[in-house]
Amino acid sequence: MSIEIRELTHIYMPGTPFETRALDNVSLTIHDGDFVGVIGHTGSGKSTLIAHLNALIRPEVGHVVVGGVDVGEKGQSLIEIRREVGLVFQYPEYQLFEETVEKDVGFGPRNLGLDEEAVKTRVREALSQVGMGADALDKSPFELSGGQKRRVAIAGVLAMKPGTLVLDEPTAGLDPAGREELLALIQGIHKSGVTVVMVTHSMDDAARLCNRLIVLNHGRVAFDAAPGEVFRHAEELRQMGLDVPECVKLVQALKARGMDLGDGLYRMEDVRAAIERKVGKC
Amino acid sequence: MLKNITIGQYFPGNSFVHRLDPRTKLLWTVGLIVAVFLSGGFAGFAVIFGYVLLAARMSKIHPRFLIRGLRPVLYIVAFTFLLNIFFQGEGAPLFSWKFITVTDMGLRRAAFLAVRLVLLITASQLLTLTTSAISLTDGMESLMRPLTRLRFPAHEIAMMMSIALRFIPTLMEEADKIMKAQMARGADFESGNLFRRAKAMVPLLVPLFVSAFRRADELAMAMEARCYHGGEGRTRLRQLRYGKNDLCAALSLLALVAVIALFNALGVF
Amino acid sequence: MGEAIIEAKDVEFRYEGAEEDAVAGVSLRVERGEFVAVLGRNGSGKSTLAKLLNALNIPQKGEIWVDGIAAHEEKNSLEVRKRCGMVFQNPDNQIVATVVEEDCAFGLENLGVPPEEIRSRVDRALRDVGMQDYAEAAPHMLSGGQKQRVAVAGVLAMRPKIIVFDESTAMLDPSGRREVFALAEELNRRDGITIVWITHFMDEALRAGRVVVMDAGRIALEGAPRAVFQNPEQIRKMGLDAPPMAQLAAQLRAEGLPLRADIMTVEEMAVELCRLKSVN
Repeated sequence: MSIEIRELTHIYMPGTPFETRALDNVSLTIHDGDFVGVIGHTGSGKSTLIAHLNALIRPEVGHVVVGGVDVGEKGQSLIEIRREVGLVFQYPEYQLFEETVEKDVGFGPRNLGLDEEAVKTRVREALSQVGMGADALDKSPFELSGGQKRRVAIAGVLAMKPGTLVLDEPTAGLDPAGREELLALIQGIHKSGVTVVMVTHSMDDAARLCNRLIVLNHGRVAFDAAPGEVFRHAEELRQMGLDVPECVKLVQALKARGMDLGDGLYRMEDVRAAIERKVGKC
Repeated sequence: MLKNITIGQYFPGNSFVHRLDPRTKLLWTVGLIVAVFLSGGFAGFAVIFGYVLLAARMSKIHPRFLIRGLRPVLYIVAFTFLLNIFFQGEGAPLFSWKFITVTDMGLRRAAFLAVRLVLLITASQLLTLTTSAISLTDGMESLMRPLTRLRFPAHEIAMMMSIALRFIPTLMEEADKIMKAQMARGADFESGNLFRRAKAMVPLLVPLFVSAFRRADELAMAMEARCYHGGEGRTRLRQLRYGKNDLCAALSLLALVAVIALFNALGVF
Repeated sequence: MGEAIIEAKDVEFRYEGAEEDAVAGVSLRVERGEFVAVLGRNGSGKSTLAKLLNALNIPQKGEIWVDGIAAHEEKNSLEVRKRCGMVFQNPDNQIVATVVEEDCAFGLENLGVPPEEIRSRVDRALRDVGMQDYAEAAPHMLSGGQKQRVAVAGVLAMRPKIIVFDESTAMLDPSGRREVFALAEELNRRDGITIVWITHFMDEALRAGRVVVMDAGRIALEGAPRAVFQNPEQIRKMGLDAPPMAQLAAQLRAEGLPLRADIMTVEEMAVELCRLKSVN
């Protein structure tokens, strides 16, 4: 189910000295099967945007339509929208609370009113989706390692079988190996048919994984295009306090020296292949 | 957006009362409470009321805030009032209905207690409206210091209070985040009866406590790393100093207590 | 060789109730004025090592000398901590006071410095980290990067010779990271403060004078960033990532391109590729 945002504006604490326009006339659509990267520095409106995606904030000005259902309409069942659009917050491991992993992951499905048998199945499925076996079921979430806790927390959202999974900086605070592992998991979840929206600060990760990037700046959509297209605007990105992937920098540095690898390269392996073609074959 | 909450009811300003040393204000409030209890009748109350009104004016706090602060305690005042009216047997009956009898003594006593309560609350409000939480803590620590000889943990209490103040906004924000995260998993904090709602708080409270303990642990480490080793030999950046204004405030209060005492001695009630 | 400011000899440390040493025989020498980056996967012992440097952990075996003081003896804790300050990971959990300047004064208050001197040192420290305009602000209103700068000011006011940053940029966004790293570099360059910089970010490690890689409680690799990152495979085995250009260089070399061995930055890679092309 696609998510459509039309002319969405959100102002925090209107009419007070703290008034801030977090979102300013934002329109965009997230299509089925997308892997969207949301990029922007702190205060660009990313968090406000993703809180709108599953109705944690109800739209005041503008519309959010999830699978044809307008979230802003009165009497709308929020639980169905929140099931459809799963949201994983930053440092989700700090939200675990149950005595066992099984109970914690089952929290969402139980809230959906599923019977115990169905909850059990879903918990096992979700855990295997994040690469954790049945041996974790009876453990306390608090005795797991940091990376495992985070995966359990993500499983807690997956257990609701969302059509779209929204992740806010899922790799924050992990070491490089942990980062790789988690990104591979997310890639796997996407391949299984779930639409993914990922907020990230890492341009390299965005370039590697996403088929589309949305760049927010001061509450507005600055870019909404394929990565190759977005990274063409390196100078504008820099002015927004953002970066481009290392390999894009390399392509530009080579171009400045008269070696043109071609346009729209943004993945390390593509750049490597282009270099091999250009330099290697002589 | 819970970031902008203020703690306590401090109302920033730069009036005469605001500038007083927090210790003066603490002692002044205690003194005023003594005066209120000392006063045996309405004449004394009138004088104290005038004095408090003057202090309120000098604090440049809008009376609206003082009245607003009285609202939550209004029920208590009303309850005390009624209790005293109905359960005072002595005195000449003014009004009688079935088993309820209102006497003149009863009415007088009820009014007396109600006025006393209002005065007490207004006086302490003046303190909290004009003094920030930190200077209150500083003032208390300084006033309690002599008690350390009796092994009273003055420094520790003050440190605990100030750390609590520091972490209230952080934990509020965290509670908000956790609540949103659980709502995203279908938790419902808003509907159902009291029992259901209390139960819905568990997913909120457990992570909040876990996080508070983790923070406490890290904070203790950070404090130690900055050479914290208890209150012994500690100096402070902010020094509390009594000034001329403090003397004025103290003298005015002494004068007030003297007047009340005089009223009592002369039998003016 | 310069003068050593930190000298650890065969240090072993085990947490209470743990089955293995968190730091298992580490010897490390840091010279005065150095900028040393410490890398390693989670649980490799780097934070434990950091806490050994300012007597938050006392080793069960071995010696640690910090600016001439025996940090392995508990009685010296205060002296060691005065000389070796520490900035932690979570900006929220290391700020003690409700006002920026009071937090900055916390260490000095603990040391019993006279109030007038606290005032001047706090003002100076806040200026040094560029937070003088926020002296009376409430910490919870600041950004992550600003909070970390306040934490640095609090350490700086104590006039330490060494500052250990224990993953102090891990929870910040890219601009906050740049802000805090640039501050550490400046303190190192301008004031000659020795910096021990613990991090997961390779781009930061690249800019250090020396890199120490920890693995399983031991120092696994040590040397100039260039030397350490030359072998991306080895780095990967330790749960780390070599800088992207070093990885690319290694892959291209494996394909038979005769690239220089120690490429780390985009600039170096571009220069080297153009040189190769002109040769061919």
